[in-house]
Amino acid sequence: MTRRAGSPPGGSRPASALVWVLPTAVTAVAALAATFLVASDARVPIAWIGLAATVSVAVTAAEAARRGRLATALRAEVQERNAALTRQEAETARLAQQQLPGVVRRLRQGDFPEDVLKDLSADSPAGLTPEFRAAHQSVLHTVVDAVSAEEDLRDSAQRAFVNISRRVQAIVHQQASELRGMEDRHGQSPAVFGDLLRLDHGTALIGRLADSIAVLGGARPGRQWSRPVPLFSVLRGGMSRIIDYQRVELHSVSEVAVVGPAVEPLIHALAELLDNATRYSPPQTQVHLTAVDVQSGIAIEIEDGGVSLSEEARARAERMLQQAQAGLDVNDLGETPRLGLAVVGRLAQAYGFQVSLRTSAYGGVRAVLIVPQELITTAPATGRAHGIGASSGPRPTSPRRVPEKSAVTEQPAAEPTLRAVTPLDRPSGPESIPEVTDRTLSGLPQRRRRNRVTTPAHHEPAPDEAKSEQPPVEPGMWMAAFQSGVTGEGAGQSSPATSNREASSEKSEQP
Amino acid sequence: MREGDQEWDEGSPERLYVITGGRSASTADSSLDLVTLIVARSGPTAGMQPEAASILRMCHSPLSVAEVSAYLELPMSVVTVLVDDLLASGKMRSRAPVAAAQLPDTALIEAVIHGLQRL
Repeated sequence: MTRRAGSPPGGSRPASALVWVLPTAVTAVAALAATFLVASDARVPIAWIGLAATVSVAVTAAEAARRGRLATALRAEVQERNAALTRQEAETARLAQQQLPGVVRRLRQGDFPEDVLKDLSADSPAGLTPEFRAAHQSVLHTVVDAVSAEEDLRDSAQRAFVNISRRVQAIVHQQASELRGMEDRHGQSPAVFGDLLRLDHGTALIGRLADSIAVLGGARPGRQWSRPVPLFSVLRGGMSRIIDYQRVELHSVSEVAVVGPAVEPLIHALAELLDNATRYSPPQTQVHLTAVDVQSGIAIEIEDGGVSLSEEARARAERMLQQAQAGLDVNDLGETPRLGLAVVGRLAQAYGFQVSLRTSAYGGVRAVLIVPQELITTAPATGRAHGIGASSGPRPTSPRRVPEKSAVTEQPAAEPTLRAVTPLDRPSGPESIPEVTDRTLSGLPQRRRRNRVTTPAHHEPAPDEAKSEQPPVEPGMWMAAFQSGVTGEGAGQSSPATSNREASSEKSEQP
Repeated sequence: MREGDQEWDEGSPERLYVITGGRSASTADSSLDLVTLIVARSGPTAGMQPEAASILRMCHSPLSVAEVSAYLELPMSVVTVLVDDLLASGKMRSRAPVAAAQLPDTALIEAVIHGLQRL
């Protein structure tokens, strides 16, 4: 029996058909032999007994063979079921370990649920029952529905956050520009001005918070700058938005500009890093802010003298930066006290900044943010964005004829240094020589005015110089000379006046 | 929203309190007012605050505080604070406006003017 059960299924059927014949035949032969071997008077009973034995053996063997066939069939079925079970198990494991995480990941990335389901139904392996397949599909459907519902919720929450922050930003901007106007209006009364500065500061802090929320909601920070902004202005812009800006010491800054689209993100990332630095260091310590050229761009370093960063804390902070780059839940906002790093991570990922945190030589934390080369421009940043910054040098164009605004904006950056260097060896222009001579000593400035009045009449060779280049310094010069004459301080006063003249003659030579 | 973006583009990212370091007024003994004349005694040095460097550059010839304020487009108080710092560091000198009592006779000035115009 066991031998037959172990035999291959294909050969068991004819073998078993023969096998039940074999014991029957043996028994019949034995019965016949016994019948012939015993005495003749016992032959009849023996024959009967032999017949009975043969019949019963035949019946038993037949039954055994039948059961054997049955067992074989059952075994085959069991094997088949085992195989099916194994396939189902593998399929279920694949569902749990590959398909579902993949589905969730794709949905989180923003793929459409329909596309995801279509791709999944395509790669189902063969050999599974339709019921099982349908059950799996319904599991997937349920998960896709749940995840996409959650994603929709998250999206709408993020949109709501961004929406609210945009409104706050609009109000803050309005407030800031009004404050700037008030600061200009009340610039002469220090008490009012001081209050306005405090209000301005508070408004800037609100603006930063709104920017942070917008960034975490997946949007840009608020402002857009169309023109490059000098790095110095960008760094001070970052300082403008933290509480303890007075503790930030701004060191040497390379004279480059940041391209417009990267200005606001950079300001915001710096503000968050500076905020961390000032917040987690003792109030009496300074935070050092420097920007230096490196091969890959500009490295902006923020060093504080606060608590050192243990290796574990550093790893955690950098992990946070990484996590933020992968995408941060708005739901985490409430649980993340160090919102700043998340924002910095987001901005770094979006704009290609490299941020690293190290232990500082001062004992605190040293944060280095590298701005890639393509966000840096060396072209002189002009216009209002440059504003009161590095080269808003004085008016080479005449301030008398042109309003002050254009005087500030039009002048090229290099000119002031030229003027500063040249007084000693300048070749004086013909018309500037008489001005310098004894006017200072006599202290009568009116000669200047006369000169200017008569200029159109007899300065044809150089009308431009006379008209536009000399007036610039005239106001100050006028006053100075007037005053020195009035107060009678001869030698002491002559030096500024003389330098004034020199400057003016310089100007007259510059085209 | 577009118009708003245009407006955002105006101005400078830095606020005034950063320029003055949070100070709204100069020290108490400052005598600067709108017509005080200031003049630079040395040129700007490297690493200087841009506004201070600008003041030094433009004050090669004496200028009044009001003029500096106008050229820099900064409120008077900010300029006062910056100029005070420069004065304290010896990079500038100031001259107070002439008091009325010290003014000479206007007739004399007019006479001189006339004389000069006849030259």
